[in-house]
Amino acid sequence: MKKVIIIGSGIAGMSAALHCAENGIQTVLVSPFPSERAQSVMASGGINAALNHQNDGDTVESHIEDTLRGGRFIAGEEAVRGLCEAAPDIVRYLQKIGTVFSLNEKGEIDQRAFGGQSHQRTCFSGASTGKQIVSTLVMECRRYEAAGLIERKLWSDFHSALIRDGRCYGVLLYNEAKRTLEPFTADAVIMATGGQNALFGKTTGSTQCDGYAAGRLFLQGAELKNLEFIQYHPTTLRTPGKRMLISEAARGEGGRLYYLENGKRVYFLEDKYGEKGNLMPRDVVAREIYNAGKEVFLDVTFLGKKTIDSRIPELRDLCRKYRGIDIYRESIPVEPSVHFFMGGLAVDNHHETNIRNLYAVGECASIYHGANRLGGNSLLAALYSGQVAAADIARRFSGTQDEGSDFVPDFEDYVRTQSEKLFRSMETESLFPVMYIRDMVAESLWEKLGIVRDEEDLTEGIEEVSYYLSIADKIRYDGSVLPYFNYSLEGILTLAKATLVCAKERRESRGAHFRKDYAKEEDAYRAATVISYDEGEFRVRLDREGRYES
Amino acid sequence: MRVKILRQQYPGAEPYWQTFLYDGDADASVAAVLDTLNYKDDVVDADGNHAPRIGWECSCLQGLCGGCAMVINGHPALACETFVRDLGEEIVLRPLSKFPVISDLVVDRGVIQENLKASGDYIGEYTPPSPKEHAHQYAAAKCLKCGLCLEVCPNYGKGEHFYGAVFANDCYLVASTSKEQGESFRKEYAGHFAAGCSKSLSCMEVCPMQIPTIASMAKLNRRG
Ligand SMILES: Cc1cc2nc3c(=O)[nH]c(=O)nc-3n(C[C@H](O)[C@H](O)[C@H](O)COP(=O)(O)OP(=O)(O)OC[C@H]3O[C@@H](n4cnc5c(N)ncnc54)[C@H](O)[C@@H]3O)c2cc1C
Ligand code: SF4
Ligand code: FES
Repeated sequence: MKKVIIIGSGIAGMSAALHCAENGIQTVLVSPFPSERAQSVMASGGINAALNHQNDGDTVESHIEDTLRGGRFIAGEEAVRGLCEAAPDIVRYLQKIGTVFSLNEKGEIDQRAFGGQSHQRTCFSGASTGKQIVSTLVMECRRYEAAGLIERKLWSDFHSALIRDGRCYGVLLYNEAKRTLEPFTADAVIMATGGQNALFGKTTGSTQCDGYAAGRLFLQGAELKNLEFIQYHPTTLRTPGKRMLISEAARGEGGRLYYLENGKRVYFLEDKYGEKGNLMPRDVVAREIYNAGKEVFLDVTFLGKKTIDSRIPELRDLCRKYRGIDIYRESIPVEPSVHFFMGGLAVDNHHETNIRNLYAVGECASIYHGANRLGGNSLLAALYSGQVAAADIARRFSGTQDEGSDFVPDFEDYVRTQSEKLFRSMETESLFPVMYIRDMVAESLWEKLGIVRDEEDLTEGIEEVSYYLSIADKIRYDGSVLPYFNYSLEGILTLAKATLVCAKERRESRGAHFRKDYAKEEDAYRAATVISYDEGEFRVRLDREGRYES
Repeated sequence: MRVKILRQQYPGAEPYWQTFLYDGDADASVAAVLDTLNYKDDVVDADGNHAPRIGWECSCLQGLCGGCAMVINGHPALACETFVRDLGEEIVLRPLSKFPVISDLVVDRGVIQENLKASGDYIGEYTPPSPKEHAHQYAAAKCLKCGLCLEVCPNYGKGEHFYGAVFANDCYLVASTSKEQGESFRKEYAGHFAAGCSKSLSCMEVCPMQIPTIASMAKLNRRG
């Protein structure tokens, strides 16, 4: 029987696992913690599908158009078409496996507007869409676990892939319980490790998403794409522990952004963009808030208690709990924060990377969203990408078409050197604070890769991160944190540097990437950025031929 | 303020108490306190001794993932939803006692998923549920699998026979959407929940998602 290893058990990882298992493929689902801890559970707002339940004339074609326009025309049209065409069936599938969607008066799945959308297209489950989807996928995976087709491997971290001559044969995992590195071979490996929040330290997302896997695979020859496109969510609430997302749903329901000038409210987005100003795409709203240079507030008080209680109760609770704000009566102070990564592992329309048999799905893969993702499109992409990768693997490795080969090169040397390196570092007694370096890098990136960038800042950022990178290999590690945090540092720093390099090379402004020294969108740059690693060199090119998504 | 933590280096190691000093924001959550203690270039305890960084589990930092469940001043709770301002002069942190410790405040709650798997907790053939069930299904599906309900339950030991509130809620989800699984499943429910529950309902008091487990119980009993 064919075997697939999936790294990461959020929505994308589980979607891939389910579709592999449905095709009779033996699947191993790897993550340090169970799916309930993945960032996917945090998704609140919803998932897009042109169901037209609001009878506002929504069609798959408009979904495609909005997605391509939102991404400023550098996403692949065929890839986006596949995503949007599959969306209605994906939502119906979710309902059939038990996802509890919010319903309209007719008993159909309810839909609402999200930023950058021409129609009310976002399906939702109260304010916990991601959690509701995760709960049903976990249960569905359990069915295949009981049947022996899916095996979950917990307390395990990705270390690296087993790659030889451009082909992937499996992975090396760190087993936290046994404290060892263990190799596992498979016919294909699917990465589903989520975004790269750790580059920025505190974001709206989960602390488990660190980008290490992408950084490490880059060093092993995998190409990365569109790293410079980092979505700042325009409305987040600052708290002592983290930045909390104030969902776009608040504006979808009618919430209005304003600042105060001489004691009077200025609804700056409505003034500039008209009635729908508050629901402009996220990059535009974030930049307008930045440009306002003043404290900005979100007002939902006029919606009234009934609407707030029924449509945005989680927002009401969050503001009260973490900041003591009563949203029935008070406006919410908001500011932009890093929220989503359009960039990641470069994949083709089948979600395969440039390394044969190595796939990537969900937020760690760069596809569909171009220069800016629309709210509600990433849950959709997480589910769809898992299906697509699994289907491709099933097609390639089944019956007469079988592309598999039983030959597995010898990785013994590789495993031994990696283990020795790890254990040498674990034996040190130094209190060198690896977490502290991560904090320093996050500080650099907040500053140099902000909403508005320029050449000088980016160059400085590259110098700073290069310095940390030059010592990463030499520092004596921190013996008091999990070995994972130690060995992951180099991959994270590498990804940070690659991101800065991509941002520097894109000398224009597009979507979420805004350069004050090149403030216009330029036709010459209307293509994805691809970066590769070649013996210490970071090489950047524009993917004009559509080698990846097309 | 003093933060006293029950520490344990690795599974099976001898636990010991260690106290730290915290003088930050009173509006910070216990999670933010742990973060502040750890993110110094040198971690020292209240007596000035070097200390290893404090192990604890987190992901969302906003009450959505269940990772940070622990016992805070005697009460099982989520660290990211418990605030310094509500805790008095001393914060005492212990790992959940009903699960094996991995290190410090990190425990292995794998038994929750294992029990659900062993009892066949999944939907077979989907039967559209009655619209009346919608609200309770939504509530039950929000379960974080955090284990707080098991920590507080007088009848839950290590999960050998009695599986606790977390199990009852998932049983309800299956029974309400699956005719086929519904029948065999009720037996599992009867054996691993109904027979052992003395209805102290402490599970509902600690549940961070405020799941009305009693409604799951009532609905399952009614069907049976
Ligand atoms: C607050 C918030 C709200 C959001 N709301 C929405 C929304 O309303 N609609 C929408 O479409 N999108 C939303 N998003 C985005 C969306 O949630 C994510 O893009 C999506 O859930 C990503 O799913 P994933 O499966 O790719 O990754 P994740 O859910 O992040 O899962 C990653 C998995 O990989 C594992 N992992 C990571 N590193 C390693 C490693 N080194 N070794 C082993 N395992 C590893 C993790 O433990 C985890 O299991 C939101 C995001 C946030 C932060
Ligand atoms: S029922 Fe409540 S307390 Fe128990 S595991 Fe679920 S969320 Fe936690
Ligand atoms: S960290 Fe997720 S619930 Fe506390």
